[in-house]
Amino acid sequence: MRDLWTLRGFVWRFRWKYVVGILSIVITDLSQLAIPWTLGRLTDDLNNGFGTSSLIWTYIGWIFLASVGIFIFRYLWRVMIFGVARTLEYELRNKLFTHYQKLSPHWYSKQKTGDLMAHATNDLQAIRFTFGGGMVIMIDTLVLFSLTILIMVVTIDWKLTLIGMLPLPVMAFIAISFGSKIYDRFRDAQEAFSGLTDRVQENISGMRVVKAFAQEEEQERRFAEMNAFNFMRNMRMAKLQAFFNPLVQWVTGVSYLLVLSFGGILVIRNQISIGDFVAFNAYLGLLIGPIMGIGWMINIFQRGAASMSRINEILNTPPDIQDSPSVLPVSKLNGSIRIESLTFRYPGSKEAALQDITMDIQQGQTVALIGKTGSGKSTLVQLLVRMYDVKEGSVHIDGNAIQDIPLAVLRRDIGMVPQENFLFSETIRDNIAFGLDRTSERDVVQAAEDAQVRDNIEDFPQQYDTMLGERGVTLSGGQKQRLSIARALIKHPPILVLDDSLSAVDTKTEEALLERLKQKRQGLTTIMIAHRVSTVQHADQIIVMDEGRIIEQGTHEQLLQHNGVYRNLYEKQQLEEQISGEI
Amino acid sequence: MSMHEEEQLGKAYDARLIRRLLSYTKPYKGLLALSLVLVVLITIAELSGPYLIKVAIDDHINGLSLPMVDMQEEALPDGVPVVKLGDRVLVREKELADELDPALLVSKPSYVIREQGEQYALMKQLDGGAEWSLVQRLTDEQAERFRDQDVSGLYRLSGLYLFLVSSAFLLNYGQTYVLNLIAQRIIRKMRGDMFAHLQRLSFSFFDRNPVGRLVTRVTNDTQTLNEMYSNVMINLLKDFCMLVGIMVFMLLLHVKLALIAFLTLPLIIGATFIYRKYAREALRVVRSKLSRINAVLNENITGMRVVQMFHREDQQFDKVHAINRSHFNANNRELHLSSLYRPVMDFIYAIGLALIIWYGGGQMVSGALEFGVLYAFIDYVNRFFKPIQDMAEKFTVLQQSMVSSERIFQMLDEQDELPEPDKPRHMKTVKGEIRFDHVSFAYNPNEPVLHDIDLTIAPGETVAFVGATGAGKSSIISLLCRFYDVQEGRILIDGVDVRELTKKELRGHIGLVQQDVFLFSDDIKTNIRLGNEQIDDERVREICRFVNADTFIEKLPRQYEEPIMERGVNLSAGQRQLLAVARTLAFDPSILILDEATANIDTETELLIQDAFAKISEGRTTLIVAHRLSTIQHADKIVVLHKGRIREIGNHQALLQQDGLYRKLYELQYREAYQA
Repeated sequence: MRDLWTLRGFVWRFRWKYVVGILSIVITDLSQLAIPWTLGRLTDDLNNGFGTSSLIWTYIGWIFLASVGIFIFRYLWRVMIFGVARTLEYELRNKLFTHYQKLSPHWYSKQKTGDLMAHATNDLQAIRFTFGGGMVIMIDTLVLFSLTILIMVVTIDWKLTLIGMLPLPVMAFIAISFGSKIYDRFRDAQEAFSGLTDRVQENISGMRVVKAFAQEEEQERRFAEMNAFNFMRNMRMAKLQAFFNPLVQWVTGVSYLLVLSFGGILVIRNQISIGDFVAFNAYLGLLIGPIMGIGWMINIFQRGAASMSRINEILNTPPDIQDSPSVLPVSKLNGSIRIESLTFRYPGSKEAALQDITMDIQQGQTVALIGKTGSGKSTLVQLLVRMYDVKEGSVHIDGNAIQDIPLAVLRRDIGMVPQENFLFSETIRDNIAFGLDRTSERDVVQAAEDAQVRDNIEDFPQQYDTMLGERGVTLSGGQKQRLSIARALIKHPPILVLDDSLSAVDTKTEEALLERLKQKRQGLTTIMIAHRVSTVQHADQIIVMDEGRIIEQGTHEQLLQHNGVYRNLYEKQQLEEQISGEI
Repeated sequence: MSMHEEEQLGKAYDARLIRRLLSYTKPYKGLLALSLVLVVLITIAELSGPYLIKVAIDDHINGLSLPMVDMQEEALPDGVPVVKLGDRVLVREKELADELDPALLVSKPSYVIREQGEQYALMKQLDGGAEWSLVQRLTDEQAERFRDQDVSGLYRLSGLYLFLVSSAFLLNYGQTYVLNLIAQRIIRKMRGDMFAHLQRLSFSFFDRNPVGRLVTRVTNDTQTLNEMYSNVMINLLKDFCMLVGIMVFMLLLHVKLALIAFLTLPLIIGATFIYRKYAREALRVVRSKLSRINAVLNENITGMRVVQMFHREDQQFDKVHAINRSHFNANNRELHLSSLYRPVMDFIYAIGLALIIWYGGGQMVSGALEFGVLYAFIDYVNRFFKPIQDMAEKFTVLQQSMVSSERIFQMLDEQDELPEPDKPRHMKTVKGEIRFDHVSFAYNPNEPVLHDIDLTIAPGETVAFVGATGAGKSSIISLLCRFYDVQEGRILIDGVDVRELTKKELRGHIGLVQQDVFLFSDDIKTNIRLGNEQIDDERVREICRFVNADTFIEKLPRQYEEPIMERGVNLSAGQRQLLAVARTLAFDPSILILDEATANIDTETELLIQDAFAKISEGRTTLIVAHRLSTIQHADKIVVLHKGRIREIGNHQALLQQDGLYRKLYELQYREAYQA
């Protein structure tokens, strides 16, 4: 429950809505109580022979007045309290998402997307239920209980009240003990359910093996076992539930019974009127709802607290990459980069992903990084935009350590074309213009043309308005890469980084693209990661990496003469080209 | 759920779906009938409560004012409560009404007890009927004697009430249990059906549908139905019976008053109808906004790296915020709507109450109605509105379950694209001759992957397929296993078309070892025998010894019982591959396929695996797909594929001499080896 306490500020901010809501509940409950009271009075009048038609009309008037009260104030409290709960869900989601955005790739590498999604939807919903339905039942139970009991004692008879309420402690005991048992069994059932999910997941992922070994029937048999287990767990819960509700009904029935016999005798003995007896029964009827809700309320508060603790855990994770207090008032990057004896380990890993890297890139140079998968090329360029922070060695841009450059400037002025060509399910135009606040149509078209993707786009019926993703067209790998390049080019960044961004582009297009880059990037720094020698051969500097170290460095010609890894790679790739060239 | 699916939601409420859902209850006709009987009994038991209170009020609590007769000269039926006062033997007329001739009662003068000031007095009806004369004033002790029969009557009724409440408890328990049993069985059956159906679907289906979606179908969508069956359906049935029961009781008690109370019915139906109409739309909007939130969150979380690299956090937040806001607004609209429903029902309840008081009260004033009846009606009307008040919530669950059931049935209606033969042929023993007879194949129309492959493999031969990525090597294997069907030509095993065998039999003759070894999260021996109980532990050990897997297994803490973690992460790639080889051998196939089976394996284990391969391909037709040519030099025949066609066939030496594609591939790999 302590986890819910973190929301006190929010509750306080909406205190007036809560006040109006609670007052409305009180008025609703009072109006509800007016009906049994009216019935009681009416009974006595009719029974004593005072009933006249005008008197009846008066009582009908009372009932209508009460029901108008119920109508207005029940609507009001629902809108107030449920409304606040929904505002809470909405605000927490904004807050959570903002926090998500501050967390680093390192944190994301430890999370499952599904879990993060569940926090932002299911957990928030559970919290909403706690602050909506849970809160209402709590207030309502409290108000209705105390008011009803008060009225019963004052207007009718304290002994009858006492006897009628006798089963209540029993009920509370049942609700609480059963509540926690049901919750336990519910958890068991959930566990069985996730076992079932795992089994289906495994089966579908391993469908090749299942089919190759004709294991369908065996799989069905095993699924049936799990299915039966799940059935059993669910039945265990159902049995308890099937017992709980009727039991609560039975206890309320006993309450009625006590009132019937004891209250009836009181009427016979002339200690209370028959009207009191009728009113008492009706009051009792009002209490049943809240009593049945107690178990449910406990459950919903438990779930809300559990959800809130998960959310708190995320909100309390400090963002590890942000502007330092010593940040310099840099407003623009020029593009000279100096890396000095940089060694880097991924958080939690002992092995160095980069070891003792030193390099100097002048403004306007084109530098190529080449090497096997896992040689550290991508890691290196990710450090430039501070996806991770450097601990040993340093990275300077224009003479400033990158930790001292505002993140906003750093990431705005370095145009990244990441390896994973992630595009958003939006229009092509929005995807190209992703990094800018405002763009003209001309800029978008120009960027598309520079990235050699303009023709592809204009072949679509809706051209730049074409939607991508699930609800739109699916692009080929090469098209995605080129769109991703256009997205970076449109920013005209002082530093452009292409992280293996041409792997799915055919040779002819690649040549055209490189040619265009050469023109466009005159005087601007470009860093290129590639596997193919043909891509990198015109670079001012080629850096060959292996296992986190720089093993060769120089221009294409220099490296060919060197007769090392680069040269070997060059010859191998020429042969490959020959093979794939054959038809 | 995608937007598109969401948009179909409006149509989802469909009689066809409901009929199909109901058809799942068919096997439980008996249980269902039992629960119906129970529901009827429950309804009677629960509704008898107010009736008992009515009797208590009219006959006992108000009993003192009931008319009596003097029965001093008559024989009395047994057990009728009497009060002797002087010579008079006073009996309530009500007690005798069923026992004696009504004419006798009418002939006798009536007595009543009236309150006079602080005291009670016994009055006698005069001949005219309208006039009463005082017989005598009653002392407290005398009045008490009249009251005693009421008290004992009240106790009797209380006993009856306890019996009713207790039997309602038992019946309720039984009924809820039975219906839950039915619901859970239905869900189990449905899940079983879906799972079994999935096993029958072809690979092209799995290519089209991501794993996550299918898992959601089998588990979450059925869970929604579970909710529907076990919470809503159960209550709906009970509620319905209760509503009908209340109406019946009311009619039995007082036809005219009942009919007047029923005047509220059109209001209830009308209001519910209007609510349903608007709520469906509002709920649909909320759900579609929620699925938008899901989509946008999913995209932003998976694309977080790009967002951060471009420093577009604020802009992306604005987008998420806008959708969150529209969800909030939609939610609020729905809130106002559902917040109105309950108060409207409360109001209609008040109208019903007023109607009863207006008419019933008027009748009472004129003496045509006993108070207890009015009381019972007030109680019944109250009970009548209870289930109606939370209709809104049930409606939501019902609507969701319709969407889920539509998706479930869609999946169950998915056809197997690789039908089993009508009259399957059987092959007792397979020699292992394989013939590809002018086979052409494409995964997607217009993108052919294999062109006119024509090839015969003799029994016991080892044939290797080589070529660049995308040359069609793996497709050939998939076709032989009939994971897909050829578009042109045919594939024959020992002269029998693979489509003439059942898939089970076909695949039983073929042993497939793949690069990506899939292990089930079970222990090692279960992963090897894969449900074939005929392979005992001893045989498993023997096989593992044979394929060199015993050494590493016996080093594991629990050896053959060692559990395999999710996807086999606790084993190295080579160890997993050894298990795959063992598994294949355990099934003793006539045809063996090694599909890139030695890629990504450390050199040490690779030697063990090569050795194992050599041993198990002995005497079996063996097809090898390999990237690395060093592993296939001993093959009887090497088939070089290029862009879906056969370019060269021959043994290693012959192909090298040809100076063709194979030779170039060979040189390339030689360099790679050199580089490493």
